[in-house]
Amino acid sequence: MVTLTIDDKQVTVSKDATIYDAAKAAGIRIPIICHDKKLQPFGGCRMCLVEIEQMKGRQIPACTTPVTEGMIVRTSTDEIIKARKMVLELLLLKHPIDCPVCDAAGDCDLQNLTYEYQVNTNRFQDEKFNWKIDYENPLIERDMNRCVHCGKCARICDEIVSFGAYSFINRGIQARIGTEFDGPLNCEFCGSCVSVCPVGALISRPFKFKARWWSLNKVKSVCSYCGTGCQLTLGVKNNEVMTTIYDENQGFHNGQLCTRGRWGYQFVNSEKRLTTPMIRKNGKLEPASWDEALGLVAKRLGDAKGSPDSLAALVSPRLTNEELFVMKKLFKETLGCDNIDHAGGYSHKALTAGAIESLGYAGSPSVIADIKKTNLLLVIKTDAYETHPVLGFEINLAVKQHGVDIRLLSDKKGKLSKLPNAQTYVHKAGADLLLVNAIAKVILDENLHDAAAAQAIGGFSAWQQSLANCAIDQVAAQCGVDADTIKGLARDYAAAEKALIILPTGMGYPGHGKEMAQAVINLALLTGRVGKEGCGVLILGEKNNSQGAADLAIYPTSGGKEAQAILSGCAAGSIKTLFIAGENPVVSYPNRSQVEKALAAVEFLVVSELFLTETSAKAHVVLPACSFAEKEGTFTSVGGAVQRINPAIKAIGQSRSDFDILSGLFQVITGQPAYANSAAAFLDLAATVPGYAGLTQAGLGDNGAIRTVSGTATFVPVSAAAPSTEAGKFALVTGSALNHCGTLSLYGEGPMLVCPAGYIELSREDAKAVGVKDGETVKVTSATGEVKLAAKVGSRVPKGLVFAPYHFADSSINTITSGNAITWVSLAK
Amino acid sequence: MIMPLINGLKITLKHLFMKPVTLLYPEERPTPSPNYRGLHALKVSHNNAKCVACYLCPTVCPAKCITVEAGEDENHDKFAARYEIDILRCIFCGYCVEACPVDALKMTDTFELANYKREDFIYTKQALLEKK
Repeated sequence: MVTLTIDDKQVTVSKDATIYDAAKAAGIRIPIICHDKKLQPFGGCRMCLVEIEQMKGRQIPACTTPVTEGMIVRTSTDEIIKARKMVLELLLLKHPIDCPVCDAAGDCDLQNLTYEYQVNTNRFQDEKFNWKIDYENPLIERDMNRCVHCGKCARICDEIVSFGAYSFINRGIQARIGTEFDGPLNCEFCGSCVSVCPVGALISRPFKFKARWWSLNKVKSVCSYCGTGCQLTLGVKNNEVMTTIYDENQGFHNGQLCTRGRWGYQFVNSEKRLTTPMIRKNGKLEPASWDEALGLVAKRLGDAKGSPDSLAALVSPRLTNEELFVMKKLFKETLGCDNIDHAGGYSHKALTAGAIESLGYAGSPSVIADIKKTNLLLVIKTDAYETHPVLGFEINLAVKQHGVDIRLLSDKKGKLSKLPNAQTYVHKAGADLLLVNAIAKVILDENLHDAAAAQAIGGFSAWQQSLANCAIDQVAAQCGVDADTIKGLARDYAAAEKALIILPTGMGYPGHGKEMAQAVINLALLTGRVGKEGCGVLILGEKNNSQGAADLAIYPTSGGKEAQAILSGCAAGSIKTLFIAGENPVVSYPNRSQVEKALAAVEFLVVSELFLTETSAKAHVVLPACSFAEKEGTFTSVGGAVQRINPAIKAIGQSRSDFDILSGLFQVITGQPAYANSAAAFLDLAATVPGYAGLTQAGLGDNGAIRTVSGTATFVPVSAAAPSTEAGKFALVTGSALNHCGTLSLYGEGPMLVCPAGYIELSREDAKAVGVKDGETVKVTSATGEVKLAAKVGSRVPKGLVFAPYHFADSSINTITSGNAITWVSLAK
Repeated sequence: MIMPLINGLKITLKHLFMKPVTLLYPEERPTPSPNYRGLHALKVSHNNAKCVACYLCPTVCPAKCITVEAGEDENHDKFAARYEIDILRCIFCGYCVEACPVDALKMTDTFELANYKREDFIYTKQALLEKK
């Protein structure tokens, strides 16, 4: 620790702090333009000049100067104020003073500082720049005339996003921020650059000219797309979510968001939102009153009470914990129906079957903060970046700033493969389980683990036995990764002081289920990595509340039917009433034709949804539900952080939150109210769900709380078969596209502008063999059907493998998949 | 007792022969002072409203009677796609004119704002455009 004096105030800070950090700790504000707490110090703008007595009053930048013992700093002498005024004058010399038409006005660092330092005149004169403004992409407008050369956009894109879309180009007075060969911006469109731009050089096109910053109501909430649990601030005006607002003090991610979080908010106020309940009359959905619709549904559910087998529910893990809790109370406790499931019945298995058996609880033994604390990251599939982009930023930071060694066990390359010193072990599709087992086998054979500690864990010998037949050379041949590489990885993993395994899951990843989770947990247990800081396994639940749905056990627990069985029950006629809350199985569940058949066959289908989706269009009763911006409740994110969402706008039309819908049904069926409000439901939830004990909605505050986990770990044998092959066919793997999450993002404008339709990604060699070029249509045929998709030719996927995202409703990939990790397909032009 | 009465009558008599301050409206019409604050007008330059939809007038308006919605024209510039003043709410304080950074708004000497229907008191952009 170092003690120094800033403006006569003594302050003690750690020795790696800068003067700026020390002043901040002492509550002294030093003006900045180019500095950002997330980025490496830059020292470009010279606004943070301070005087240091020991340096004979020389002016030095506070943001780049480390503190030294006994330093005496002055932050606002006349000389400094004069210098800062000149900095502003020089910046304003080239800056077009077009504040009236600039969207940054009100939230502009340059404007605020000009006002603060009262720079009313300028003693210099010069012509303004006349750079061409980039209107070419749909999301980010780049007006380099307004740029103040702070370099934050280039730095955040490089340091945190690791994309590197920008850099300074040209020299001297011609210097400016440019893109690759000064072409149009073609990046991930996460918008991090827009969020940090201190002026209006980079602005959001979807929000352009919509409202002024000061007229927006800022409501803190949690993103409703993926399971990362990013906190965000919604900018609200006239009952409309206008934009997302950057707040660098929010969450573990310091306000960073991805494409969907930042630009995908439009679904909230979409014109496609359902506004009234609808009942099917004479084959057509007609608007109806809530009383009529709820009465009809309640009667149907009440009638089914005597025969709960004829009833089933599919719930979306996008619902809040409170809503899921009421759902459970209604179906499992009141109606005695255990036919309830979520997320396709398979994508939650890593948590609800794998982790429960292996660890004793349906969660990850690690938290998000462990990513930066570990020494070695083993990521199963590069898709972790696509499914959870902001966790991907954390991984980028861990690797680049904390020197974490990253290893990727994947069937294709990805963005994470490009990180410094990243090693990607590209294996044959479907061989990941075999590889993980082989790594464990190497560690066992070479005695790289703490044998006594591992043997103390239950099931060790049985598990060891199960690996007896695992021959590394044979595995190497089956996986396409050579034996020495596997051994090297195993040795590195075992030798690392701390090691964390990241396992993304989701509807697009049928292979990442129970076995996969157990295999990686076995590996972590073997090396004593469970329950330690910076170690363990992080299972990434796909949706915003996937972890909550797993915690609350929204799946059959006493012999009920799982999602697939529910659908076949519907098709067979044994299930007569199906309640779907927020799921869109027609698009997201495997085997579309069977799902459609099942939904057509079921006698009574109720769907509560935001939109008339492919699923709700088939319903007998459609109940308009509220989005996350209209309700209160909590989401549990990856790693178990329970965070609150806050209502930003009033419900659209007559829509009601699922909490109100389910409580209304509960009231009609039982004659008594379920809960007074969601806070009361949460209290009951905290009392009954392990790990949530002691939590209250109010107590969660802005930052949320991490729910605890406890259980007894045990080794569970996982059998891994050699990956199948089919001669002459391509292995199709599905997954998440970077800009989308589930099917909700299809209603978000931003993601659709960047990635509007499905595609199939294939290698250059395969494209050549099939005879297609990038962008051309390919006919993809599997045993279950065929679909036409645009080809995306690149070097990411290896030969013989094709990848397709699962989100899109038109020519959806589930037309040809049937729930296997790999679908064998043939391609034709 | 009598003197104050006489004094009062003197004033009355004086006023009887003075030029009246009232006007025989509508036959006679007043000439408002140059800084009179009547109905607003949006100034026009090069056949377009000068307004750039910066939202400063609705921000400063104490009566919250101005509604602006910005639009993006074919040159990607900002213009007021919607500009409405609810005259029934307006208190004619003139802050909007003062706040305008591009001198796009003025207050005219139009004071006859009576109308038959409430809707007619909401002056749209078209109605507010300066007449030359």
